[in-house]
Amino acid sequence: MYALIYKISFFVTLVSLLSTVSNSVAAEHAHKAMTSKTIQGSCEKLAITCAKTVTSAFAPNGDLWRLWAINSSIYFQISLDEGLTFSAVNQVAIDKEKISARNENRPKIAFDNYRGVYLSWATPKEKKYTADVRFSYSSDYGKTFTKPITVNDDNLMTGHSFNELLVTDEGDVSIVWLDSRLAYQLRLQGKKTNGSALYIGKANYRKNETVFSNEQLANNTCVCCRIAMDYNKHGDLAILWRHIYGDNIREFALLTLAQGENVRPTPYQVSYDHWKINGCPHQGGAISINENNRYHMVWFNQGDVGKGIFYASSNNQGKSLTKPISVGMQSAQAAHPHLNTNGNNIDIVWTQFTGTEHQLWHQHSKNNGKSFADAELLATAHEGSDRPFIIKKHNISYVSWHRPKQGHLVQAL
Amino acid sequence: MNLLKTVIVAILICFCFSINFSNANSIAFSKEQLAMIKTKNMGKQWLMLLWSVDCPPCFKELAIIQKLQNQYDGLAVVIINSDANNEINEEREDIIDRFELGSFTNFHFVDGKGDQSRFFIDPNWYGELPRSYFIENNGKFHGKSGLVNESTLIEWLTP
Repeated sequence: MYALIYKISFFVTLVSLLSTVSNSVAAEHAHKAMTSKTIQGSCEKLAITCAKTVTSAFAPNGDLWRLWAINSSIYFQISLDEGLTFSAVNQVAIDKEKISARNENRPKIAFDNYRGVYLSWATPKEKKYTADVRFSYSSDYGKTFTKPITVNDDNLMTGHSFNELLVTDEGDVSIVWLDSRLAYQLRLQGKKTNGSALYIGKANYRKNETVFSNEQLANNTCVCCRIAMDYNKHGDLAILWRHIYGDNIREFALLTLAQGENVRPTPYQVSYDHWKINGCPHQGGAISINENNRYHMVWFNQGDVGKGIFYASSNNQGKSLTKPISVGMQSAQAAHPHLNTNGNNIDIVWTQFTGTEHQLWHQHSKNNGKSFADAELLATAHEGSDRPFIIKKHNISYVSWHRPKQGHLVQAL
Repeated sequence: MNLLKTVIVAILICFCFSINFSNANSIAFSKEQLAMIKTKNMGKQWLMLLWSVDCPPCFKELAIIQKLQNQYDGLAVVIINSDANNEINEEREDIIDRFELGSFTNFHFVDGKGDQSRFFIDPNWYGELPRSYFIENNGKFHGKSGLVNESTLIEWLTP
C-alpha cells in the first residue's frame, strides 16, 4: 500500500517539478524576446505593461515623462517625441519602499523651470490604512534624487495618502493629501469621527526650504477619492475634493487659497447630486482653470438628484456654477472623468465599459463649455483600465491612458 | 524503513498541495460561479457582500458579519473581494483570516477582470463599496452601496 502511495506521490511531484521548470524556461525565452520587441499580452516584471497605474507629465522643455511603481520601486521613461518612442527604463535612485499605486492612489511628478524633477507618493505602513506622504527631488533632471522625506509632520501611525503635487516654475512645491491625524486623536478620546482632513504642505528645495509646512484646510473629507488642484490666473491654488456633508452626503467642495491671506475662506460646495453613501466612491473629480480665471470642473456622482459624470464651470472661484452638463453614457458605465482647458477650448475624457471592452471617450468644446461636439471613441482595452488623464504641452492637450497588460497610450486631442 | 517512507510520502503530498493549492481560501470569481451560488442559494434569503482592501468602511461590514457568525448559525453569506489585483492576494487572505470569515464562501475578482465581474453581477453598479446584495428566496437581487447597519443584516439573515 505504502509502495503504491509512494510511487503515485513521486510521479505527481515529478510532474509538478517538471511543470515548474518548464514554466521557468518559457519565462526565460519570453524575457529574451522582450529585449528586442514587446510581446502582446506578455508581462515582464518591471515593464510598464505590468503596472496598474501610470503617471505622466510634460516637462517645461517638452519632454514627456511617465512613471510607474512595481515591487517597491519607481521607474520612469522619457519621450522626446510626445510618446511615440521612449528612453530605456530608469529606476528612481532611492531605497526601496512600499508605494501606493492602484486606483485613485499613485505617485505624482512635477517640474520646475531649472531641470528640477519632483516626486511624491504615499508609502503604506505596517498597520492597515496607515501611510505617510513621501517626497523626493532631483536637481539634475532625474540622474539623482534626494533621500525621500516624510511630508506629514505628526509622526502618527495613521492615514496620510491620496497626495497631489504641483510645483511652480521657481520651485515652490505644494502637496495636498488626505490626513487622518485628527480622526486618530479623536478616536483616542473615544469620540466618533467621519472622514479625513485635507492638508497642504509647502517647501522650496531651490531656496533650501526643505521642511514641509503642514496646514489643515478642511475636515470631514471622503477617505478614498483623489484630490484635484490647479493654479488660477493669480497663481493661487484651487483645490477640488469629495467632501462629506451632513449625514454622509458625498459632494464636491472647492477651495481657493489666496496668497498672503492667513484666514482661510469657507470652501464652496460645487455639486448637489445628493449621493448619500457611507462608503467609498473611489472617484475623485478634476479641475482646470483657464487664462480668464474660469474654473472648469468634472466629477462623478450616483446621487438621488444626479447620476453620472457632470461638467460645470465658474467665473467666481466656485461661488456659483453654470448648470452642470451630463457627460458620457450613464447606461454604459461612464466614469473616471478628467479635463483640461486651453483658452476657450475644453477637453474631457472618461471611460466606459461595454461588459467586455473598456473604452476611452473624448468630448471637446470650443466655446468655453457652452456646448460640446459629439463624443468620440478614442481607444479600447481588454485587460483592465487605469484612469485617463489629460496632460498639456504648451497649448496642446494629450490624453494619457494606461491599459494594464496592453500598454500606455498617449495621444494628442 | 516503513516509517521513513511514510514521512517521505507526507512531505511529498504537502509539497504538491503547497504548489497547486495556494490561496485556497478564496475562489476566483466567474459568471459560472455566480450562477452556481445563485442556484445553490435559491429558496432562501441570502447576502452577497463585496469589499476591497482599499475600503475602510468595508472592514466595518466584515466585522459585523464576523460578530453575527458567532451569534447565529448557518448565516447565508457569500463574500466577494472586488480588487481584481494579484498584488493584494496575501493581504486579502490575511483580512479574511483576521475577521474569521474563512467558513463563508469567499470569492475574488480575477486580476484585470474587475469591471467584467462587476458588470455581470450588476451593470448598474459603478464599483463603490461596500456593496451589499440582498437576495430574496426567489433569486431577486436588491443592491445597496455603503455600510449596512447590523440590525438590517440581522433582520435579513435571520428571518
